[in-house]
Amino acid sequence: MKAVLHILERDFRYFFRYKWWIVGMLSMSLADLFIMAVVYTRMVNPELFIENYFLFFSPGIMITALFAAAFMIGREINAEIRREISHYMLSLPIKRWKLALGRVLAGGLRGMIYTIPLLLTTLFVTFVLAGNVPSPLQMLIIILALFLISVGTSGLSITLALSTTSFEKYVTARGVIYYLLFFCSTVFYPLNLIQSVMPQFFAIIAQYNPLSCGADLARSFLLGYPPLEPVMILDLVIFALIFASLAMFAYMKIIQK
Amino acid sequence: MISLRNIWVVAERDLRTFVNYKFMLIMRAIWFLAQIALFGLIVNKMFKPDVELAIGTSYFNFYAAGIIITLLYSTTVFIGYDIYEEADHGVIEYLLSLPVSRKELVLGRSIGGGLRSFIYVSPMLLFVLYLIGVTNLLQFLVAFISLFLFAFGVAGFSITLAVSIKSSDKFDILLGVVDALIVRLSTTLYPLVYMPNYYQAFARFNPLTFAADLFRWGAGIESTVLTNPAVAVFGIILFFSIFTFLGIILHERRLEGGGWQ
Repeated sequence: MKAVLHILERDFRYFFRYKWWIVGMLSMSLADLFIMAVVYTRMVNPELFIENYFLFFSPGIMITALFAAAFMIGREINAEIRREISHYMLSLPIKRWKLALGRVLAGGLRGMIYTIPLLLTTLFVTFVLAGNVPSPLQMLIIILALFLISVGTSGLSITLALSTTSFEKYVTARGVIYYLLFFCSTVFYPLNLIQSVMPQFFAIIAQYNPLSCGADLARSFLLGYPPLEPVMILDLVIFALIFASLAMFAYMKIIQK
Repeated sequence: MISLRNIWVVAERDLRTFVNYKFMLIMRAIWFLAQIALFGLIVNKMFKPDVELAIGTSYFNFYAAGIIITLLYSTTVFIGYDIYEEADHGVIEYLLSLPVSRKELVLGRSIGGGLRSFIYVSPMLLFVLYLIGVTNLLQFLVAFISLFLFAFGVAGFSITLAVSIKSSDKFDILLGVVDALIVRLSTTLYPLVYMPNYYQAFARFNPLTFAADLFRWGAGIESTVLTNPAVAVFGIILFFSIFTFLGIILHERRLEGGGWQ
């Protein structure tokens, strides 16, 4: 376990090197919530879908921020492979699987750390405007859901980063996945709206998208809608397991090349 | 005496270096497509019927026109990052040694920075125009020329920030915060009438508001909620003049002497 902790510590140090990036991203998320969502609240048709868009969007912005922060590890690993820093990593007295596990966990935990201010903001907003305070068990489930999304995203980003040594290809693939998952999710709009507007293919992506499950799970506890469904938790567990395993496997293979 | 040829040589160099950012350009294009094809289409159905009446067209058209301006802004500010790259690699000293005056250098960079973004955004801009449809060519030409000035102004703004701060970290964060606020506190994403008064006060004088509303007007969107085109043109000319002037002054005073972080 000590070896994994060393890897975690190293990746956390790297993460805080990007402090300016973190502040910039946080300000963008907060601007999305306190400016864009406030204006959209005045424009949204309450009869059709959502009564208060600001409240609806609040858990969503927490999920997008978590996703963006957890995705960062992929960029670093892609750069390490291109610059052959992976050779140095191999020379460390750490077993390969521990090294891989450390990287995936670090990516996930960094996402969690980054999300704390937005989680607190969301809790504050939903408490003030909706009067809802989640029970300790609900809070625990929310945190667990965030952790699963974060680890899964970290795994997804590492898998993607290892699939090519070309930075351009990585960035392009990242862009496609990033925006597809962002905009084809219930982070910005409810599922029934997506189903009524988009072709079925996109509606299915939106329904099983882990970002949708995470946002809706948080909403069900913090806002009381949509109803919590076990498939949301199952979706997140499967997402985290698949991509964490894939990333570990790919990482162990690629650094030995 | 300012030489137009020298200005063009500087601008041409910036046009050529833009190709180096191909991954950024690809990302921006994907972002644009996702914004239009996913977010724009879905959100279009989310709003009250009176939104469409107020803006004089579908929200999708309104949004697509705004996203083009956002794209133009975000690709133009990249010229500031170029300056830091050059400082990092010692290219600034090389540029200073050229037989080009400081004024020509900054004017060339503003023009090059604006022009390259315009060239990049053009196919997407034409696509949006195809979606909206241009009804009055003269109106469109006025808007088009104003957008050029807007892009040069944004380049001047980015250069002004870069040479004032001289720290890439601080520049990065400041640009991130400015980007977060300037886009959201403008009419690129939503009309002014739906903003709370405290946001309207900023949005009314935001150059992105002028550019977005002018572009919509140029594309033939008729609505009373858009900024008056004369005011928008005046605002853009003012924005361009201030930041080109500031860029020249600061470039002349601060470019030399190192101190880049």
